[in-house]
Amino acid sequence: MLTYIASRGLRALVTVFLVLSFSFFILRMSGDPAMLILSPDAPPEALEAFRRGWGLDQPLWMQYLVFIRNTFQGNFGQSMRDGSPAMTLVMERIPATLAITLPAFFLKLLIGIPAGIFAALHRNTLADRLVMSLSVAGYTVPSFVLGLLLVLVFAVGLGWLPSGGNASWQHAILPIITLSLGGAAILARFTRSAMLEVMGQPYIRTASAKGLTWRNVVRHHALPNAAIPTLTVIGFMVGSLIAGAVVVESVFSWPGVGRLLVSSVANRDLAVVQCLLLLVAATMISANLLIDALYGWIDPRLAQGHTARKGS
Amino acid sequence: MSNHNTIAAATEQLASAPLARPQRIRHFLSAYPPLVLFGILWMLAMVTVALLADLMAPYSFSQLDLNARLMPPAFMGGSPAHWLGTDELGRDVLSRLMVSIRISLLVAFIGTLLSATLGVLLGFLAAHFRGWVEQLVLTLVDFQASMPFMIIALAVLAFFGNTLTLFIVLMGFYGWERSARITRGLTIAANEQGYASAVHDIGASPWRVYAVHVLPNIASTLIVNVTLTFPEVILLEAGLSFLGLGVQPPMTSLGNMVGYGREYLQSAAWILLAPSLVIVLTSFSVSLVGDWLRDRLDPTLR
Repeated sequence: MLTYIASRGLRALVTVFLVLSFSFFILRMSGDPAMLILSPDAPPEALEAFRRGWGLDQPLWMQYLVFIRNTFQGNFGQSMRDGSPAMTLVMERIPATLAITLPAFFLKLLIGIPAGIFAALHRNTLADRLVMSLSVAGYTVPSFVLGLLLVLVFAVGLGWLPSGGNASWQHAILPIITLSLGGAAILARFTRSAMLEVMGQPYIRTASAKGLTWRNVVRHHALPNAAIPTLTVIGFMVGSLIAGAVVVESVFSWPGVGRLLVSSVANRDLAVVQCLLLLVAATMISANLLIDALYGWIDPRLAQGHTARKGS
Repeated sequence: MSNHNTIAAATEQLASAPLARPQRIRHFLSAYPPLVLFGILWMLAMVTVALLADLMAPYSFSQLDLNARLMPPAFMGGSPAHWLGTDELGRDVLSRLMVSIRISLLVAFIGTLLSATLGVLLGFLAAHFRGWVEQLVLTLVDFQASMPFMIIALAVLAFFGNTLTLFIVLMGFYGWERSARITRGLTIAANEQGYASAVHDIGASPWRVYAVHVLPNIASTLIVNVTLTFPEVILLEAGLSFLGLGVQPPMTSLGNMVGYGREYLQSAAWILLAPSLVIVLTSFSVSLVGDWLRDRLDPTLR
């Protein structure tokens, strides 16, 4: 088990390193930041001072090392627009984002998993077809279309809920619904196919042949085994708690991390974008690590050397 | 596959036998469910519009008519001069919609093609060389799979600025990891089968073995994967353009239209409803047809 966790941890470190290098080199390849921030016709002394200030006059490998050191010290540079630390700007926005992504996450689980299990246990019935059609509709309707339709109906048409902003808890309802429906659709589909896969296994037949009630077969034999592939999807959802609401936040003018990202991209505020990129990567990687640990706990075979690559 | 053919042949035989009409219709409908037929027709319609946008559009997509601003569609009390109404600058929504369909489909088509090519090439490389090459490819696959693509795309757009070429190339990186994974797995399996080693033994170059012999044998799975990637690229492009970070004005795309139509949600909802409907129906159609193809071509897939 320990070696399993350790090997997963090593992979995570490699990914961290890849993300760091990706963001460093792509930043440097994109041109001279001095030219970008100041204008090309700024006085040469100002450009020179700027380059020295940001360490841009050092050789590239030196810049890279400094960048890695700064990152591990939690120093992500300043926002190029107003000079406040990029990390502070990002941190300020996180509570607002979590206020909609966390409830949406639990709603996804509450809707998606039971719907998937129900569809699998009633395969090829009308109910199954209904759940699956809703599920296809759920992930082919992009979140901004769904969000705008909800606004059109519940804010413009019926006037029950506010259309955007974050003044009260009512403002959070539409964003949360928008976020959860799409995710629930994906989760329902995954859960259903995982359940169908498991229900076809010989051990399910054995379990019912030895006289267990159907309820017990499903609860103790089918569900735990179907949980494993479903966990992968849930892991991805945990990982996108921070940055999974980019579009939805824009639709509802919700002042979270996603809108900060969009405005930083539009203004090419590179320090903030870089900080967000690293933060998202860190969240994704920790979520994956957590899920890998859970795999090892749910299915001890995985931890004992049968580490067949997922998905190959 | 052969089993499948036998069934198909049997069905055909049954169908050619003098059957009662309702039965024949039922046979046809079980092979081509109505929703799938709808999907195919819709996709054909979209491709036609994309190809013939210039001929079909009643106006130029950027032609202003300030006297006819925010006119409702013909069926909502507007005039038949503008079937789908006009936007805040008096531009004809139908004409803009057609050009948007062309741009969005073009971006999605080239993007999907690039991503499939990249994935297949890297998958072949990994399966051919194994060892550290394979490890490298798999690490890249893991990296790509562990990051939400939209965040990477936003970062790249922030760093490099936005041009249509860069944007299309960026879409070409969406989903390559899935086809790389599939290609690698299937190619390793194919290399262990007789046909690949037989061709290799009679002196064919690796290039020939992979391109002429292995590729056709794994194509059906790859095609199914493309039907998954294509609607996702459409949605990704629409999302980024909606945020104002994808296709830039004066060019237009479906997401772009929804993005600026949002300003007129209360007064002129038709500006955003038409492109929204096209986005939804297109990705819905491709997914449906893809599911159907998957059941027909490769029943082993999920």
